[in-house]
Amino acid sequence: MIRRASRRLRRVVRRSRRVGRVARWEASRAAGGVDRRTLLAALALLIVAGGVLGAGAATDVVGLDVDRDVYRVGVDPASPYADAVEAEPALTAVPAEEATLGSTADLIVREVRAGGGDGPAGDPAGVLVRAVDTPKGEAAAASFREAVEAHNERLMAAEPNDTAAFPVTVTLRYAARGSALDDGATFGGSGSDAGDVSDGDGGGTDGSGVSDAEGGDSSDSGTTDTSGSTDDGSGGAGNDGDASGDGTAGGNDAATGDGGASDGSSDGGWWPFDGGDGGWWPLGDGDGSSGIAVPSIGGGAFGADTAGSPGSITPPFPFASLVLAFAFLVPMNFLAQAYGSSVLEERTNRRGEPLLVTPLSPTEIVAGKTLPYVAVAAAVTALIALVVGGGPVSVLAVLPIAATFLAATFVGAVFARSFKELTFVTVAVSVLLTSYAFVPAIFTNVTPVALISPLTLVVFDLQGEAISVGEFLFATGPTAIAAVLLFGLGLGVYREEDLFTQKPVTRKFLDALAVRLSAVGESVRESPPTGIAARIPGRIRGLAAVAFLTACTIPFVFVAELLAVAVLFALPVTVSIPVLLVVIAFVEELAKSVHLYAGFERGVLARTDRVALAVGLASGLGFFLAEKATAVVQAVGLTELYVGRAAFGSVAGVSGLSPLVLAGLFFAPLVLHGVTATLSAVGARRDRTKYALALAAATLLHAAYNFGVVSLHG
Amino acid sequence: MGSRLTVAKREIAGLRAEKTILLAIGIQLFIAAFSSFLVVGLVSMYDPGALDGAEVEVAAAGDAVADLERVAAEVPGASVTPYEDPAAARTAFDRNAADAVAIATREDTGKTSIAVTAPDATVETTVIVVQLRDLLRTYERVERVERADSLSRPPLPLPDSTGSSPYFTFTYTVLIPVLVFLPVFISGSLVVDSITEELDRGTLELLRVAPVTIGEIVDGKALAAVAIAPGQALLWLLLLELNGTPVANVPTVLLLMTALTTLVVGVAAGIAAVAPDRRAAQFLYSVAVLVLFGGATAMAGGPTNAVARLAIDSATPATTLTVIVYAALAAVAYLGVRRFITENGIGE
Repeated sequence: MIRRASRRLRRVVRRSRRVGRVARWEASRAAGGVDRRTLLAALALLIVAGGVLGAGAATDVVGLDVDRDVYRVGVDPASPYADAVEAEPALTAVPAEEATLGSTADLIVREVRAGGGDGPAGDPAGVLVRAVDTPKGEAAAASFREAVEAHNERLMAAEPNDTAAFPVTVTLRYAARGSALDDGATFGGSGSDAGDVSDGDGGGTDGSGVSDAEGGDSSDSGTTDTSGSTDDGSGGAGNDGDASGDGTAGGNDAATGDGGASDGSSDGGWWPFDGGDGGWWPLGDGDGSSGIAVPSIGGGAFGADTAGSPGSITPPFPFASLVLAFAFLVPMNFLAQAYGSSVLEERTNRRGEPLLVTPLSPTEIVAGKTLPYVAVAAAVTALIALVVGGGPVSVLAVLPIAATFLAATFVGAVFARSFKELTFVTVAVSVLLTSYAFVPAIFTNVTPVALISPLTLVVFDLQGEAISVGEFLFATGPTAIAAVLLFGLGLGVYREEDLFTQKPVTRKFLDALAVRLSAVGESVRESPPTGIAARIPGRIRGLAAVAFLTACTIPFVFVAELLAVAVLFALPVTVSIPVLLVVIAFVEELAKSVHLYAGFERGVLARTDRVALAVGLASGLGFFLAEKATAVVQAVGLTELYVGRAAFGSVAGVSGLSPLVLAGLFFAPLVLHGVTATLSAVGARRDRTKYALALAAATLLHAAYNFGVVSLHG
Repeated sequence: MGSRLTVAKREIAGLRAEKTILLAIGIQLFIAAFSSFLVVGLVSMYDPGALDGAEVEVAAAGDAVADLERVAAEVPGASVTPYEDPAAARTAFDRNAADAVAIATREDTGKTSIAVTAPDATVETTVIVVQLRDLLRTYERVERVERADSLSRPPLPLPDSTGSSPYFTFTYTVLIPVLVFLPVFISGSLVVDSITEELDRGTLELLRVAPVTIGEIVDGKALAAVAIAPGQALLWLLLLELNGTPVANVPTVLLLMTALTTLVVGVAAGIAAVAPDRRAAQFLYSVAVLVLFGGATAMAGGPTNAVARLAIDSATPATTLTVIVYAALAAVAYLGVRRFITENGIGE
């Protein structure tokens, strides 16, 4: 036992030493490729750009207004509305006498004087707006209204009489329903009203109230003192932790002694931030002064900013965290490009051949080539995390994304015939992965579906929110598995006969799939089994491989279906649901049968109907089992979404059914997957056209079944 | 000219054989579909009017509740129900009878302070907060008008609000520029690939033996890359047109886009000629394009804004002048790069 373990250990050490050697070689080559001159040139470009932008910002010609001057407004230059138009970038003023609606102006603004007529005396009593009767006119009118609102806000800000300019102060807080039934106190804390603190639960609250408010003040320039006193007033209302607690003030919560401690921790109100900086969105995790916290958006989002006027309320949206999370993705694209070049360069002029004939296995070569890039990704990610204030969780969450970027690029580089083809593949990979990572993160605070992207964890981390192990695994697991599977796919063709030949991407893809299959049926070529496969009896080895390969497609099916949901989301439900059902059926049918087609084409599977039947059923079974294994999805509440329910099938609402029906419902997908996969397999064993037709038929059958399920569940 | 065309034809034939240009078009389609998904998703969160009949029910209490109730009558998306005291309002909130609680209190200073409670993170929170803001802003406006005598400059009256599609501005200022400029970047990247690949495979040496000059080779490659760009952009503009989004000044937009392609292709050829290998070349190209476009977009009258104004039909003579300037810039840059390459050769 011990001897075997030590032998295994020695083998691992030997392998890792080999991998390390390849890695060192790759790193030195990469450092030679992107040499110092290149880096200096890139740096110089960036410095020039920074200088130009800086100078531009100083002279005020720079502004990221993509909508600058898109609407033309005819307005009298003497009118006060001209100022409003002037200040809005999207609007450009055209003198009223030159403006003709439709040709030189989209909108004509005329003010109405109180005394009648257009005399200069007095303030305008109203305004008349004439817009062209097109969508553009409407958009221009809406934009103009916003411009006037913004203009009024500026007027009021300059007003000496603060009470008249801002007659309303608003304090916004978020609370869970039913979290605080001991009220009166909860709403006592309105604004600077000191009296209400004494409305609180007890004397103990008062003390903490004062210190809390001070804590908030010191870190967030007074914006939170209203929130601070709201919290303290409520005492046991359970909202303590978030708005008030920065470092020192946090301690006060425990000292309130109002018996609300358990409350505070259990129903913790809105988002149990650990160490907020006093703002509603504690983005930095320190006290707001360390690192690049994002105070402007962070503090303002609460709505209780210095003016506290209604205009300052901002809906909860983790904008700043999202922008910062995006920063993690940008270097991935550069890294993937360099990595792809490196792999493809091995393949041109048979450069990689000497390496292949060494005792190194393809896996070791690829691992060694990849390692430096993973290391760079980790280093860059850690650096970014340090700058934007993310923790180790951010780094750990981004690494699977980096691995997937590299894995997809690896597959692309192994399949591509030329640099040009690789560019297209790399761009496709970047776009798809970036949107897969980024888009769900936008809905971080809205739905649990957001957790399918590891980037959501980064947003959570930047917000200082706690992340459970389960959430972490759910978010990073599929991405990591996808990366491993992609590397496996590419490694299948990392051999001489595929690396140095020019084949279309699709044929290489079929090769890569066929490599993973074992022979089924008589008179087919068979390679001696290795590894785990050798322990499986020959008869079912081939079928097990088929089922396993089908199961491996699940993460990709999952991603493809989510992307379909996202893309089709824009359509009205009456269109999107049927289209979605067909698309999903197609994705699943393709996943179940494309490797069967590859097997028949490459001669791994015998071209008989009996074999087709067997592998079809095996594939269906593999898919069924893998799909059931991913029922975790439902635990996270993905099925709450209507569209999500259509995509992933629902087990909700079956409680009232008899066990027999339930069993039928449970096994119905198995029958379906078996039947449709067999149908495609029978087509695939003949030729490409038959396969396409059979796939289409299977898709329709599957879609009809899905439609039945959706309408059954309502 | 003939030899240039031959080189260009060879380039395009290579692209056609690989068929991966279809992938590029697929990516652009994906971006277009996806960005509309994003906009629809985000807008429906921020502009609840886009959601049908989103009405926020506010439970209100406090001594200024009557004013709040009066104002709510003017705001389409919100209604206010007065309650006896804050506790009653909060109970209504807890019983799900109200979406939010507002306690309006008059203060000694003359201000009204409103403590608002919204439900914590759910899909509706954003919608509720947006509606509440509308309500409170209207309230603020009414209060201001009542106190207008104490103001040195009263606020300007607002025009009536009109229904407008929130996608309209996005379509013209973001979607169209993105779709028009994507082919530009792809063309530049193609030229980098094409030149570094010839270098890497050693086929450039073969080309040199052929009766073409190095300048003609570069011309041919650039010609192919520039030629495929406007077609893609035109395809997108036509698709948008079919989709009910009229695009004005299409020829000018395409002219601007072709000029930029020439500029980017010139830069790409220059980089590919001096960089040691593809990795370095693509890296430098990406950085250069980021800098070039980032910088140009940030400037007033940048290409993104110019395309938006042309497409939405708000172009002024200045916009046309911008297009001419870009065309001239592109010609100068390309000729400069070509001259540099003929003098220094490629990859030496």
